[in-house]
Amino acid sequence: MKLQVIRRRGLWWAISVGCIVAGLVAMGVLWNQIGMPLRPSLDFVGGTRLQFELDCTKPNNCDRPIQTAAVREVVDAEGIANSTIQVLGQEQQAVTIRTTALDVDQRTKLQAALESKLGAFDVRKTQIDTVGPTVGQQLFSSGLLSLIVSFAGITLYLTIRFQLDYAIFALVALFHDILITVGFFAILGVINGTEVDSLFIVALLTIVGFSVNDTVVIYDRVRETIALSPGRHINDIVDDAVNQTLTRSINTTLTTLLTLIALFLFGGETLKNFALALIVGFIMGAYSSIFIASSLLALWRERTGNAIAPASATATDAIAPHDQVG
Amino acid sequence: MGRQRGLLLLILALVIASIIVIVKVPTRLGLDLRGGSQLTIQVNPSEEVKQITERELEAVQKVIEGRINGLGVSEPVIQTVGENQVVVQLPGVDNPQQAERVLGGTAQLDFRSENPTQIAFLQVRQEELQELQAKQPALEKAGDQAAIAANQSAIAAKEKQVEDAIKQVYEKTGLDGRYLRDARTELQGNSWAVGISFDQKGADLFADLTKKAVQTNTRLGIFLDDQLLSAPTVPAEFAQTGIIGGNAIITGNFTAESAKELELQLRGGSLPVPIQIVENRTVGATLGQDSIRSSIIAGIGGLILVLAFMIVYYRLPGVISAIALTIYALLTFAAFNLLGVTLTLPGIAGFVLSIGMAVDANVLIFERTREELRAGKTLYRSVESGFFRAFSSILDSNVTTLIACAALFWLGAGLVRGFALTLALGVVISMFTALTCSRTLMLYVLSIQSLRKPELFCPNLRSKPPVEVTS
Repeated sequence: MKLQVIRRRGLWWAISVGCIVAGLVAMGVLWNQIGMPLRPSLDFVGGTRLQFELDCTKPNNCDRPIQTAAVREVVDAEGIANSTIQVLGQEQQAVTIRTTALDVDQRTKLQAALESKLGAFDVRKTQIDTVGPTVGQQLFSSGLLSLIVSFAGITLYLTIRFQLDYAIFALVALFHDILITVGFFAILGVINGTEVDSLFIVALLTIVGFSVNDTVVIYDRVRETIALSPGRHINDIVDDAVNQTLTRSINTTLTTLLTLIALFLFGGETLKNFALALIVGFIMGAYSSIFIASSLLALWRERTGNAIAPASATATDAIAPHDQVG
Repeated sequence: MGRQRGLLLLILALVIASIIVIVKVPTRLGLDLRGGSQLTIQVNPSEEVKQITERELEAVQKVIEGRINGLGVSEPVIQTVGENQVVVQLPGVDNPQQAERVLGGTAQLDFRSENPTQIAFLQVRQEELQELQAKQPALEKAGDQAAIAANQSAIAAKEKQVEDAIKQVYEKTGLDGRYLRDARTELQGNSWAVGISFDQKGADLFADLTKKAVQTNTRLGIFLDDQLLSAPTVPAEFAQTGIIGGNAIITGNFTAESAKELELQLRGGSLPVPIQIVENRTVGATLGQDSIRSSIIAGIGGLILVLAFMIVYYRLPGVISAIALTIYALLTFAAFNLLGVTLTLPGIAGFVLSIGMAVDANVLIFERTREELRAGKTLYRSVESGFFRAFSSILDSNVTTLIACAALFWLGAGLVRGFALTLALGVVISMFTALTCSRTLMLYVLSIQSLRKPELFCPNLRSKPPVEVTS
């Protein structure tokens, strides 16, 4: 089997554009609803999230499940507006409440009121997250900054290792991966109300670092092939390079996906969306390396009249060894 | 062959060393795994202090340290972050309400005077306590349970009285941190001292206070948040006027550190800056244990899936990569313990992920080896050039991951940094295991006659026509 990367590039690009447009539509919908392209968690906008679980070691404390209505009544009586309440657990013994940022007194009062209504909570199963609005801003901007810095760092590195056009298309592929991952979470945000937290930015950064790998492997091969046979057309070279490296592109992504699937299934609630973002991003990373970065490079070389590289263009290539093959 | 054997021994030694490290050196767990509270405290500028600089932040940190020591939490961590924040980690605290109340609010520094009558009182109480305590051994010898119990409760009551008496000894004078302009460490001859200076109003109050102290032969008490920092005496020469001019020097048995500590406490207490808790992340201990359990399952599950895939797909080299990967996991975990990396939940995720990434180098090498085999090279040459020619790809891919990690580490906050650190460590160690362990094991295997069969390295080698590598 040989993949027709160049000849069928219209199809590959259409798939990418379709994914990107779907994501953009979802972002548009969210923008209309909440004024943001993704649903931000309290990490970015500030707020308090409380998780309580009834203490079942006490007699008769866990006799009945927690009712959302009962919790709502208490929260409203405390005069706390804009709250979201969710009852959790198989036995419905746990509840999470998300509100605007509460200070220690408001929070203690709310907890006491809830305990008198529902029963005693287990402190060892309590989780409290309070983020002030300014801290949220800070987390968001530092996340964004680190994304930009790593983009710049990777462009610089690729420019040094390869030529500028390689680097630019690798970057286009990266943008593609990031955009689709963000779009995917926008879609989840519309359908499921899924929120993105600071781990989502970590996931994006990891995607940036990892998904460029496959692109590098293919470019490495393209460069090597050009050096070995300078007279060939770039389209043939890219097609061959992609196909020769296909198994390794798929396998390297697959092994990483295996660990991510384990994290997604067993890693607990906190890591679930994190693993999901990485799964989407890594799959897209492999896809864009195989189909997008390579075909764009070929197209560019063809359009700029560099389809057939002169032998001297890559003669400076010192790292890839040229021992004889075949 | 001698070099291979040497490397094999080195790898074996490393494995043994890392197992010892894993067993002996405890893993440091983050608050999200062991349970506890992390509070971020922000120092806000005020009318008097328009901008928060490093100097102010350092002083505030000292004030916060003092308050936390009062809470009696074990192993607290207090760090300044950025320009105006202090992060406090309180392991094992399930209910941070008390800590939050104590930590919020502006520092209260005040200068108090001793009350001579109360000192006498205190001495009497202390003597009474000693008497009661002296009785205890005799009673225990006699074995009269009722008498022992009675005496013990008497001691407890007396201890309470002593505590109260200590509080009574010092009286507020109205001279507080507002009037203190500055504090700095100074070298007086050969010993360290702390110089303090007051503003105009403070200078007057201080003169009165010191005059009274000399006349009644008592000490001053300098309190920060109701805790006694220092109780200096005033030399007799100031009996007439007290210390005037608003400048004074506190001497004593200071070392450079203890003088600096008092300076910072004084300065922190004089700062009229409101501090506010802007972030609170609290995880109950049971929830942390659940997270540990689920991440161990995820880690082992991920490792097994990857190992199974490698062995099924790559056969003999797959087995070698499985061994190398296990060595990798051991070495990395030992490195975490040895370097004192604090493992957080995202940190574990980074570690698990790095297992999947570590095997990448092996995939690159083995695929290359297969290509060379299909191209008709001998087994030994194929393996050699597989390692040699995959190197540049391995290097490139790891460098790009490291760039992303570096960006995360320098710019990210708490939890995020843990992830970046574990992933980066994993990537670096994986380079070592792929290029050293896999290679050495592979060459060792090739030295065994019965294993030197190309079909163990590449299935269906002969049934397919050789694939053209390059033209």
